[in-house]
Amino acid sequence: MYIFVHDNHCTMQTKILLDEEQMPRRWYNVQADLPTPLDPPLHPATHKPVGPDDLKAIFPMELIKQEVSTDRYIDIPGEVQDVLRLWRPSPLYRAFRLEKYLKTPAKIYYKWEGVSPAGSHKTNTSVPQAYYNMKAGIERIATETGAGQWGSALAFATMLYDLECTVYMVRSSYTQKPYRKSMMQVWGAECIPSPSMKTNSGKAVLEKDPETPGALGIAISEAVEDAATHDNTNYALGSVLNHVCLHQTIIGQECREQLAMVDDYPDVVIGCVGGGSNFGGIGFPFAGDKMTGKHKDVDIIGVEPASCPTLTKGAFMYDFGDVAGLTPLLKMFTLGHDFVPPSIHAGGLRYHGDSPIVSRLVHDGVMRAISCHQSEAFEAGQIFSRTEGIIVAPETSHAVRCAIDEAIKCKKTGEEKTILFNCSGHGNFDMSAYDAYYAGQLVDYEYPDELIKEAIGRIPKIQ
Amino acid sequence: MKRIGFIVNPVAGMGGSVGLKGTDGNVEEAKRRGAVPHAGERAQRALEQLHGKKDLAFLTCAGAMGEAVLTASGLENYEIVYTPGSDTTSDDTRAAAKAFLKTGVDLILFCGGDGTARDIFSVAGRDVPMLGIPAGVKMYSGVFAVNPDAAAELVAGLDKAALRDSEVMDVDEEAYRAGTLDTRLFGIARTPVIRGMVAVSKQVYEQPDEERTKREIAQFMQEVMLPGALYIIGAGTTTDAIVRYLGHQKTLLGVDVVRNGRLIVSDADEQVLLRLTEREKDVRIIISPIGAQGFILGRGNQQISPAIVRRAGVGHVIVVATPHKLQDIPELLVDSGDPALDREFGDSIQVICGYRIAQRKKVRQQGQD
Repeated sequence: MYIFVHDNHCTMQTKILLDEEQMPRRWYNVQADLPTPLDPPLHPATHKPVGPDDLKAIFPMELIKQEVSTDRYIDIPGEVQDVLRLWRPSPLYRAFRLEKYLKTPAKIYYKWEGVSPAGSHKTNTSVPQAYYNMKAGIERIATETGAGQWGSALAFATMLYDLECTVYMVRSSYTQKPYRKSMMQVWGAECIPSPSMKTNSGKAVLEKDPETPGALGIAISEAVEDAATHDNTNYALGSVLNHVCLHQTIIGQECREQLAMVDDYPDVVIGCVGGGSNFGGIGFPFAGDKMTGKHKDVDIIGVEPASCPTLTKGAFMYDFGDVAGLTPLLKMFTLGHDFVPPSIHAGGLRYHGDSPIVSRLVHDGVMRAISCHQSEAFEAGQIFSRTEGIIVAPETSHAVRCAIDEAIKCKKTGEEKTILFNCSGHGNFDMSAYDAYYAGQLVDYEYPDELIKEAIGRIPKIQ
Repeated sequence: MKRIGFIVNPVAGMGGSVGLKGTDGNVEEAKRRGAVPHAGERAQRALEQLHGKKDLAFLTCAGAMGEAVLTASGLENYEIVYTPGSDTTSDDTRAAAKAFLKTGVDLILFCGGDGTARDIFSVAGRDVPMLGIPAGVKMYSGVFAVNPDAAAELVAGLDKAALRDSEVMDVDEEAYRAGTLDTRLFGIARTPVIRGMVAVSKQVYEQPDEERTKREIAQFMQEVMLPGALYIIGAGTTTDAIVRYLGHQKTLLGVDVVRNGRLIVSDADEQVLLRLTEREKDVRIIISPIGAQGFILGRGNQQISPAIVRRAGVGHVIVVATPHKLQDIPELLVDSGDPALDREFGDSIQVICGYRIAQRKKVRQQGQD
């Protein structure tokens, strides 16, 4: 720990910074450290394991290789590193003011990913994904976005490599967050509210239900269909898949380095979970330490919304990644691919499934998950803004909630735990959500799991 | 052009200020105790905001029952369709409502309390939507706007408004004065609501309409109903949608019983329910909050008595409601008549509000501050 003395006033180090040359040059692939391999994705029609050829229609070969690789480390291409250095290494903060406010003996650190041009961790994967597509001669990328974080991150990345970009944005977010759409426009992408009339899957949903608020699962169907039906177009996903989580591991690797600079290692690692990439990004390097016996006791916690509690209330089974059933079947925790979560403000956490790796690690007890109501998350977001200054995204506020609760537990037990959480993005475009919080208009949606569990035998099987 | 039938119950609310808990049949006593009519002022506060709205035409009653307030508010586009006697009574309210129906109106806007709402509903039913400017002593019905300003806003935006169901409650005034609140569900009226929109700052969120959410709730309930279990289904249009989804007719204002998707008993009273549940192992209760205050027990569902709830168990009470309805109710109230049972509901309850979607709502026991 550095202590600065200035005007007879001792100041402890707030930001722990890595130099640019200390930025990790390899991604960490947690698949290498799993005791047994992941269950393979299955073809949606034949239910046989999918091979690389099945994915070629929508992904470049380099990403397909990463998806199934069991190499422990995968090199980050130099041209990708050059772009990542625009904002990386990102700062690790010691939350002194939050600790003081909570009167906790715990040490709270947060990794600030909001410094990227798009304002969240999403650019860590949008840049390599756009790069590999450009290398493969692809001209356009189609994708979906929930809250707009991923869409804007991919718009930024495709612009860098001169690719066209079509973003299907979940309709409720499209109206709630107009500025995310504006950002995509600035970076040259086309943004379409989903469901749309541009795809068969969109049309099918609209015919059944013209007033649907949309859902990530529907937007994924549209983007996949767009990519599969156009030769020059590939698909990109902002979370869930193994290669996406791989690209995010740069976060956790940097954290481990930064904490080592102050002779620390986390007892608790926290991230919010929608599809699992920011949680996996911060959590996988530590999960690797745990599985290889280096740090057996690290507690890695994912926080999900009570309205869409995939990991805490879902079933661990094969399910489609999208509503229409176009994607391969993935072995994951799921609430059912036809479940349309309510329109909470943390739009990025509205996903019925989860990353197969995160699911597996939670299932095996390497990581665990909890859930919270949105008003509890916003309350935590407010405490964070009023102590540390940063106004976090509604998604991120779920991680803040858990960090605060863990720190309060330490106050009760007197433990001086080291708590690390991924502060995944800023909420500067989510002010209407904060307005709703202050107007007392936030609805605490939750998933009625007791009723569903009792009747589970009667609910139609997913496959 | 929207035609608004406008009625003021000039004496509404007078009983309240002088401790009479209601004004029906007590106007003289209220006056003797020094009560001053104020319904006219409340109505005027709403109407003044409609000044300059050229697309509104009013039908009204002569004198204090309407005309006086319209003139005082500076509104000139009105026609008198009913002239009451000097001391107005509930007969006048009903007669005026009849006159509106005969001429044809898009909305009956009234200023009064539960008694006024009941009188108008007894004539208009669900044919014509109604909206109350609150001025009464008791307002357990759901037809009232939260205040005169909100009422004005709804009338001004009538062409953009959708309709929602709202309970009209019948309060036994004699019993009420004696200290017992006995409210019965009298009917379910239709009340305007600004369509599918909740304004939050300048952002607007789309919300699915009422019928659609009722269908979603019904679909989910059908999915989770267990074979063999006995389902006691309370009053209201959301619960009505559940029974209709199963293919049966529901008693809108009463309690029905369903098992294995079949309707066993219609309009059951407490005795029937007691008999039915006597040896039953698995009893479940599906109810919807009733009235403006959002009572889940004790108002409108009295057939489901504390004894019945105990047989089912508080954990087997499933509360259902549409998001619109919940939006207007900050917290749910429970007043089963058995305070110990009420306490078993705890601080909050899950309310099913869509397909596999619920909300957590605060619960307050009646008498708890």
